[in-house]
Amino acid sequence: MIPMRSAAYLAAALILAVACAGPGATQAPTAAPTAAPTPTPGPTTAATACDNLAEAESELLATICERGKIVISTDADYAPQSSVTPSGDFEGFDIDVGEEIARRLGVEAEWSAQIWDTIIAGSWSGRWDMSVGSITVTPDREQLFDFTQGYYYAPAMVAVLEGSGFTSIDDLAGEKACVGEDTTYLYWIEGTLDLGQPGIIVRDAPEGMTAHTLETDANCAEAMRAGQTEVGQVFITAEAVIDEAIAADTPIEKLGEPVFYESLSVAFDKNGPEHAALLTVVDDIIGAMHEDGTLTALSMKWYDKDLTKAE
Amino acid sequence: MAADTALGGRDLLARIAEDQRARRRWFRGKFALVWLVLIGGLLVLLSATGNIDPAWYREWGPYILEGTGTTLVICVTSIIFATGLALLGAFGRLSPRPVVYSVASLYVSLVRGTPLLVQLYFVYYGLPEIGIVLPGLTAGIIALSFNYGAYMTEIFRAGIQAVPRGQREAAEALGMPERLIMRRIVLPQAVRIVIPAIGNEFIAMIKDSALVSTISVTELLWRARRVGTREFRTLQAMLLAALVYWVLTIIFSYFQERLERRMARSDR
Repeated sequence: MIPMRSAAYLAAALILAVACAGPGATQAPTAAPTAAPTPTPGPTTAATACDNLAEAESELLATICERGKIVISTDADYAPQSSVTPSGDFEGFDIDVGEEIARRLGVEAEWSAQIWDTIIAGSWSGRWDMSVGSITVTPDREQLFDFTQGYYYAPAMVAVLEGSGFTSIDDLAGEKACVGEDTTYLYWIEGTLDLGQPGIIVRDAPEGMTAHTLETDANCAEAMRAGQTEVGQVFITAEAVIDEAIAADTPIEKLGEPVFYESLSVAFDKNGPEHAALLTVVDDIIGAMHEDGTLTALSMKWYDKDLTKAE
Repeated sequence: MAADTALGGRDLLARIAEDQRARRRWFRGKFALVWLVLIGGLLVLLSATGNIDPAWYREWGPYILEGTGTTLVICVTSIIFATGLALLGAFGRLSPRPVVYSVASLYVSLVRGTPLLVQLYFVYYGLPEIGIVLPGLTAGIIALSFNYGAYMTEIFRAGIQAVPRGQREAAEALGMPERLIMRRIVLPQAVRIVIPAIGNEFIAMIKDSALVSTISVTELLWRARRVGTREFRTLQAMLLAALVYWVLTIIFSYFQERLERRMARSDR
């Protein structure tokens, strides 16, 4: 009854096509070399990490050197850390830092655009090798990720809608604030924020504050700009994100001093391939980028101030 | 006298025909006018709010539009796979063998009974936990193919059943083997019956493909969303994305209508 042969052909074609469409052939548009090569102050390291690679190690580092590229995830909804450009590339502080790390490794950077909560959920299944995505180190996240030293410090600020009448952070008791899903700003409101050693919590959230979470921080600015009242009149995020929103005519203003300073690091998936050597190498690269002023220069370029040193 | 009447009758018929044509022209004219007024009015109203910036479209339009290619690649690939799956599914649903029939029925029931978004998340986020890691584009194509394959299974089954029984009986009388009857007699006629329905599915798929933006495929909606957020111009970004989907469906509806008319002609 069933024409078995044609059925078999169809099945074979299906499997073949899926196999062909596998890794490599897809997601072409997500990856593109970004912005002009970073103006690197300081010495250009002669030998890259991959040049110095010891004998064949069964390590992520060796894999990356062999394939000549490192796949880095980014949430492109985080200007000025990461966003898209009209030509289809990515740009931002995180993008420049990632490109520079790749350059010093001696490989190319390929960007994988992911949604923030996908990155921060961990277990990347090897879809990308590392995240240069302004991730704050917290003890909880250390269960999921291995972190390098911080590459910069971000002050967390509170912003309120213009004309909302709040004059100090203490006025916000019982108020609802808009924050990104799974962010340190959400944890701060919930009173569960633990920044560990490198971070500094300046003050706790006012009594009874509640959160309205959206997929990513920029959605809050977007919603407040659009007059969405259900997200509340308060927005808590990195100061740079607030600056960016204000520059784009979002009717908000900063309130008080930063509420905490978080140390942001490059992350590797704890459940991913063996990466101890890569972690050490990238950690050293970041140390060198601190020392030779590369990070300061990039911070000046994107934030107009030096955020690379602890406050 | 009689000749005169006949002449007058022809004249009358011609006048009626002319009248009908004029009426059709008038109707079409009004139709176009109403659309122009409504769409134009809406655009004018939106621009009057000061939220439409033509310069922004010049800067970001090409970037968003580039996603159309990815959207079409996803849809064309998925509809091809879905057609293959649907054909298999239909044979299964018509099979007298209980195992084959149950497998095909389970496929149709399971896929049609769960949301496409759940299927997308399952393939992209769920499967890696058992070691199957697929890139977004592949995951999206697989989910869409399986989803539409299930819906189209029923279309194919109905198409095969719609071929008059006499066709099969005649072939049997000629001593044709079962497989040959299916391939030479039933399928060609069934395909003609289902092609318009496949066109419908394709048009629906163009819109459903927007869901793939949730698994990091940089298609049309993904791009519009990122740019809209970045520049705080979601209204404009969504307008453009909606327009592209709309134009795509209009184009394919047109071709599908023509195809349908051609198919109908051969039925006469």
